[in-house]
Amino acid sequence: MTLATFGQSALIAMAGLGLTHNTLVVLGGVAAVGCGAGVVGSLTLLRKRPLVGDAAAHATLVGVAGAFLATGRRDLPTLLAGAAVSAVAGLLVLVLLRRFTRTREDAATAIVIGVSFGLGLALLGGITARGMPGGGGLERFLLGQTAALTARDAALLAAISLLAIVVVMAVLKELLLVAFDPAFAAATGWPVGLLDAGLMVLIAVMVVIGLPAAGAVLVTALVVIPPVAARQWTERVGVMLVLAGLFGLVAAVGGVAVSSLRSGLATGPLVVLVAAAICLASVVIAPRRGLLARRLRSRFDVGGDRS
Amino acid sequence: MFFEKPKNWARSGARSGHSNGFSGGFPGGWPAATSRSGVLWLTVAAAVLAAAGCGGPTADGGKLEGGKLARKAAVGGRPRILVTTTVVADLVRQVAGDRVEVDCLMPPGIDPHSYKATPRDAERLLEADLVVASGLHLEGRLAALLARLADRVAVLSVADRLPANRILEAAGGIPDPHVWFDAGLWSLLPAEVARALAAIDPAGAETYAARAETYAARLREADAEARERLATIPPDRRVLVTAHDAFRYFGRAYGIEVVGVQGTSTASEAGLGDINRLVELVVSRRIPAVFVETSVADRNVAALIEGARAQGHQVSIGGRLYSDSLGPPESDGGTLEAALAANVETIVTALAAGEAAP
Amino acid sequence: MNAGQQPLVEFHDVTVAYGRRPVLWNIDLAIAEPCLFGVIGPNGAGKSTLLKAALGLVPVVGGFVRFGGLPLRQVRGRVGYVPQRESVDWDFPVNVMDVVLMGTYGRLGWLRWPGRRERAVAAECLERVGLADLAHRQIGRLSGGQQQRVFLARALAQEADIYLLDEPMAGVDVRSQEQIFGVLAALRDAGRLVIVVHHDLRTAAEWFDQVALIDRRLVAAGPTAAVLTTDNLQKTYAGEIELLEQLGQAVADRGRTE
Repeated sequence: MTLATFGQSALIAMAGLGLTHNTLVVLGGVAAVGCGAGVVGSLTLLRKRPLVGDAAAHATLVGVAGAFLATGRRDLPTLLAGAAVSAVAGLLVLVLLRRFTRTREDAATAIVIGVSFGLGLALLGGITARGMPGGGGLERFLLGQTAALTARDAALLAAISLLAIVVVMAVLKELLLVAFDPAFAAATGWPVGLLDAGLMVLIAVMVVIGLPAAGAVLVTALVVIPPVAARQWTERVGVMLVLAGLFGLVAAVGGVAVSSLRSGLATGPLVVLVAAAICLASVVIAPRRGLLARRLRSRFDVGGDRS
Repeated sequence: MFFEKPKNWARSGARSGHSNGFSGGFPGGWPAATSRSGVLWLTVAAAVLAAAGCGGPTADGGKLEGGKLARKAAVGGRPRILVTTTVVADLVRQVAGDRVEVDCLMPPGIDPHSYKATPRDAERLLEADLVVASGLHLEGRLAALLARLADRVAVLSVADRLPANRILEAAGGIPDPHVWFDAGLWSLLPAEVARALAAIDPAGAETYAARAETYAARLREADAEARERLATIPPDRRVLVTAHDAFRYFGRAYGIEVVGVQGTSTASEAGLGDINRLVELVVSRRIPAVFVETSVADRNVAALIEGARAQGHQVSIGGRLYSDSLGPPESDGGTLEAALAANVETIVTALAAGEAAP
Repeated sequence: MNAGQQPLVEFHDVTVAYGRRPVLWNIDLAIAEPCLFGVIGPNGAGKSTLLKAALGLVPVVGGFVRFGGLPLRQVRGRVGYVPQRESVDWDFPVNVMDVVLMGTYGRLGWLRWPGRRERAVAAECLERVGLADLAHRQIGRLSGGQQQRVFLARALAQEADIYLLDEPMAGVDVRSQEQIFGVLAALRDAGRLVIVVHHDLRTAAEWFDQVALIDRRLVAAGPTAAVLTTDNLQKTYAGEIELLEQLGQAVADRGRTE
């Protein structure tokens, strides 16, 4: 009993700071997602396939609409499960396109994005056009709908994000090896195809749990921008991963905080804007790789930095 | 093509061999000899409509949209009335009884704010003798279609016929269309519907007028009953929190403060700031129950309840209210009167007693 | 490996095709003993492809490759690999030590992180290639020769018996080349087989014990002096030699007219 009253008084105290239960729930969920997205996104950036997240994100809509049509339920776990299935399916199509036709990677990505997103929009539009109750709510998956997160939803998102980070840590050396030198990895017996597939599944999962935070259109930003920002600051992979997670987390917290202050502000776009601001700052002011640093160096250095 | 179809009596006259008037192929309805008196009735009806328009400024300026009359559909003997929502369907049925065939565009449980018409719907609209819509942009996405078809088929938007000074304004300066749960206000409409029906079916004019008067009286009775019943809620508990702002007329009529999680249209999103504000409201006023709606998703309400619970205030779901849609015929909300009574019961039970309705 | 019975490396009737285009055709080559073995040929002759076929990196349409009579997957730990330097983006956020440690991953297996033993092995390999003091430098800031030596150190860290190197001297300064050759020779002396795809005929003649001349087909294989005859070279480099002669002719003509 005392624990509950302690919790309540803590909440009331925090409410004084503007931190209501709902805000904390949303903060917790979105921050966890931002952190995980940054970490997993770093691996795809290093693997030189940053747009895989984009393809997965646009393919989620079909699954969201499909799950609603199939089960009639609108709860978050059901819809996200549908999204996961269609995201993985979209990535599978991407892989098959690359392997069995002579389509280039970027063209194949564009095809998957366009077709799956069009299909998803058509389905969603059909649902809302028929005025099915709760159908209007499905459109929130385009731009995110953090306000309606319950504690259980947020806990689910956070748990999945944490799990993804643990998986990445477990096979980190393998993922880095494949990202750096896939030929050497294959020659020394590592299953490169399997590892790539695993990374794709991880990205699909992160994109799916990022849907409530930022929506299908913007979630790819969560997966790409923090890693790019982090890369500017370090030449050590470990540091890069930590920074990417940190930047993702900060972006999430910033976006949620700003959107909770006023009515009518959507959280997803704000999170992305904060992430973009961090990235812009990183690109400019980071030591050694930043624009300013390079300017100064070229001005004062005559020779290169090779020995 | 379509342009000719509704207004060209000569054309249908050509079909049946007569040169003008309401003749031909109309079993059990229109005696062929009344072609002249048909024209007379039309003039009378038009005059009545014009006179009604002089009774005060209405929301749409007193003009029957479309202005012209539609021809009866070839199939079936009765005029076909196409209505948009279940609420309007109930209104038309109450006034017209069995004299017309009522075809409802949206089934029960559908959200009219987001409903978009299909090409098949457009066909149904054009095949109708009269289209009756709720109006004031309740059918947000249908409005453009209705406006486009206004010169090909007669359209009556009932809410537009209400006196402008009784229309509430929603956020952003647009009118709030949820007029039907103010039974007193809604009781002004049966007469309008009767007039419109008489215009396309003059033979039934008397019937329509009589039924309209009876129905209006019943509505006024229901209005008084609701007010009495709701007065039993203690003053400090008289707050109605619902999924979207559909009850402002209800609130004004029966003395209850209403708050919606989403705005007047379900198309707008509830942000985190809005939820926080509402949690604050619910907790500080110690509101015992909030309400979900049959045609709107529950998700925001769940977050609201959780937020309140975290501050130590138990708020439950008081029940499911009929808002933008009536229920199926076999439910307890199949007609407007029934839905109003059901809503009132649900609200009174939840707020007065402080416990959730079963 | 039972070096007594089976050859250390055997290519039997190996054919590799990219789509319809054959890149290697009916290669039959057996290397019986540890030595410094060069794979020589003109550009596009399929030299790299030969290595990749041995490592399972390209599909072999016909024939097979065996190591001591066994397929690669049974002897992965015994085969070391140095890929071409351009096959990798050096702007990767790792340092020299990180890359060399990658050579130890094969022995570690899944879920294990390099520990003290692996670091000791890596440090020793760096010592052998002369990069010990650059262990913590980011790989993008290395010269070509240094990058090549990092790859070599990584292969050394695999602690293999057979080493396959793909153009390890390409774009490398002379001093680094000699250093690398020194390491390879030491490997050979320690009883390892070192197979090197190489582009420079002059140094090939100097360094390798045995060579194979490849021009999509195997032209000749065996001890260096016996294989690198004018005749064989003519056969292998026919196209290039003709081009060179034409070039020489054109230059000479220019000289006369000016």
